[in-house]
Amino acid sequence: MEKSVTNIFKQLFYQALRIRLVEEHIIDLYPSDVIQSPVHLSIGQEAVAVGACQTLTSQDLLFSTYRSHAFYLAKGGNLKEMFAELYGKVTGCARGKAGSMHLAAPDVGFMGASAVVASTIPHAVGAALAAKRLKKNQIIVGVFGDGATEEGVYHESLNFAALHRLPVIFLCENNGLAVHSSRQARQNFEIIEHAGSYGLKTFHISEGYDFVKVADAMSEVIRHVRTTHTPAFVEVQTFRYKEHVGPGDDFSCGYRNISEFHNWKDLDPLMQYPNLVESFRPRIVEEIEEAIQFAKGSAFPSIEELLCDVV
Amino acid sequence: MLCNTAVVTELGFKSNNPDVALSERKVLSYRDALHRTMREGLRDQDAVVIMGQGVDDHKGIFGSTLGLAEEFGRDRVMDLPLAEEGMTGVAIGAALNGLYPIQTHIRADFSLLAMNQIINLAAKYKYMFGGRFEVPMLIRMIVGRSWGQGAQHSQSLQSLFAHIPGLKVVMPSSSQAILDTYPKVIAEYRGPVISFEHRLMYDLNFHLDPLPNPDRDPFESYTVRQGADVTIVATSIMVLEAMRAAEHLSTVSGIQCEVIDLHCVSNPTWDVVMQSVEKTGRLVVADTSWREYGVCAEVCRVVAERNPACLKNPVVSLAMQPAPCPTAKSLEDLFYPDLRQFVHAVASIVIGDEKHGIALPDMQSMVDVYKRFKGPF
Repeated sequence: MEKSVTNIFKQLFYQALRIRLVEEHIIDLYPSDVIQSPVHLSIGQEAVAVGACQTLTSQDLLFSTYRSHAFYLAKGGNLKEMFAELYGKVTGCARGKAGSMHLAAPDVGFMGASAVVASTIPHAVGAALAAKRLKKNQIIVGVFGDGATEEGVYHESLNFAALHRLPVIFLCENNGLAVHSSRQARQNFEIIEHAGSYGLKTFHISEGYDFVKVADAMSEVIRHVRTTHTPAFVEVQTFRYKEHVGPGDDFSCGYRNISEFHNWKDLDPLMQYPNLVESFRPRIVEEIEEAIQFAKGSAFPSIEELLCDVV
Repeated sequence: MLCNTAVVTELGFKSNNPDVALSERKVLSYRDALHRTMREGLRDQDAVVIMGQGVDDHKGIFGSTLGLAEEFGRDRVMDLPLAEEGMTGVAIGAALNGLYPIQTHIRADFSLLAMNQIINLAAKYKYMFGGRFEVPMLIRMIVGRSWGQGAQHSQSLQSLFAHIPGLKVVMPSSSQAILDTYPKVIAEYRGPVISFEHRLMYDLNFHLDPLPNPDRDPFESYTVRQGADVTIVATSIMVLEAMRAAEHLSTVSGIQCEVIDLHCVSNPTWDVVMQSVEKTGRLVVADTSWREYGVCAEVCRVVAERNPACLKNPVVSLAMQPAPCPTAKSLEDLFYPDLRQFVHAVASIVIGDEKHGIALPDMQSMVDVYKRFKGPF
């Protein structure tokens, strides 16, 4: 028996489900080799993207990572252009030069996704510096995983943002893993405490599966940044269902226990509201299939594209 | 006859009006040319910001940013934390959202800490996202030399960056080159540009071109001296050395050197190089860095690919010795090619014999010729 739900729940549920179904289609397509790109799936982490983007406008900028399907879609990136990009077609969001790892949709404020861990965090800070100096009234969000907090550039970015009181939100998706290494094997500090030591206002969300909670918390974070014009740090606990890269499950590989997955999925609304899933599924699947047809029907980039846009 | 005078002639840019006597030309130091372009960039474009360690201090990047923080504010002339990678990333993000950052590395060596951002990000942003982003920014890197700069304060890293598609790399060899390059780059070019400024040139005064060409492409190579006997392709301060060698040879032997300033080492104007080498049949390459896998190798590659038959003699490369830079002056003087070696190399290739019989200049340390600064940095 499913509980009665609010409109905002339904709205966010729809968006999260859309992302999951997009990625499940990618999983289905992957063995056919039409997608010749490493894919880092967001399944399990959709609620973070959906909740975080809920209160952002298309003027607000978000910088992301190679695991960015969820944020690309949540920020409003075009689904057809995403599939075309995965298919390596010239109609893709980067004309076939990005694949899965470098999605971008600047028209809706989804800035580039980078495949080098932590490398876009300072870009969010720099964009916030420009926003402040040019009086753009933007909020800038830098998204990264827990692994990124070990990189020097992460610390350099937090320090600079706090020092110059920049309108930037550091959003850490903590799934506890860097590829196959647990956080305990890598870090001798607590992420949120350490971030706070730079003088940033910090927020912690342990229910990363709950898009409404994430959205509510992010509203408060954004209010803080907009009113104080100072940066904030948000850590969201989340869970990666799939292997680091690729379409498969890897619970049998020994680096993590499947019981963690069972615990998490019991809390995952996308697995706890099957009737809602079924009511939304047809419309979403229709949209996805249309996007796949668009990708299939598009041309590969021609030879002129090879040396275009280098400088 | 050597160019050991207070004013270096209008090296670097071919004058539109060579008839104007040198005495009638304006003189500007390299440092003042830099300062002028930095100041005018800030004055003319609200988007311009200068970011670097110490850009607002009492030394102002060897004078090139002196007083600008006071004039334009410390939010536009920003001192930075010691965090090269992060701050390069900040500059990239600022460029993506409407600013034009000018970043400084008081030694090029320090930019190695920012290689991830420069190579993996700045150089890739436009292409990797299908042309949807632009990263307009200028990174100024200063190449140190003399007074014991040593292994980590002296590297001239142009070939590392020029190797990477997506970066434009320039090496202005005169005040005029600064004036003709930086304002255009800042105002018009929408991608990342790396410029190598040689420390020894900061203190030199240059004659300016009386009629500079306002339409000059800031990313081209050009001929700075005409000559029929040998082509010298040079970068940065080696252009000045090439001119000194050319003047000596012209005086003592009548050998006429054609000197090409490569200027934009990432995208040289190869037709200028090839036309000259095809005319003279002889090539000397003089670079401020190591020979191996560098500018010397690249120029030779292009000649070898396009028209190796035009060469009458094997090519000569003049570059640093294949070692880290030593600090003792006795060793440092051996580490860099000097004018005597330069003249000997050119004379040998023209005559076709190391026993060329042409008088060489007196042994003299190159830094003693150029140096008006005496340490510590």
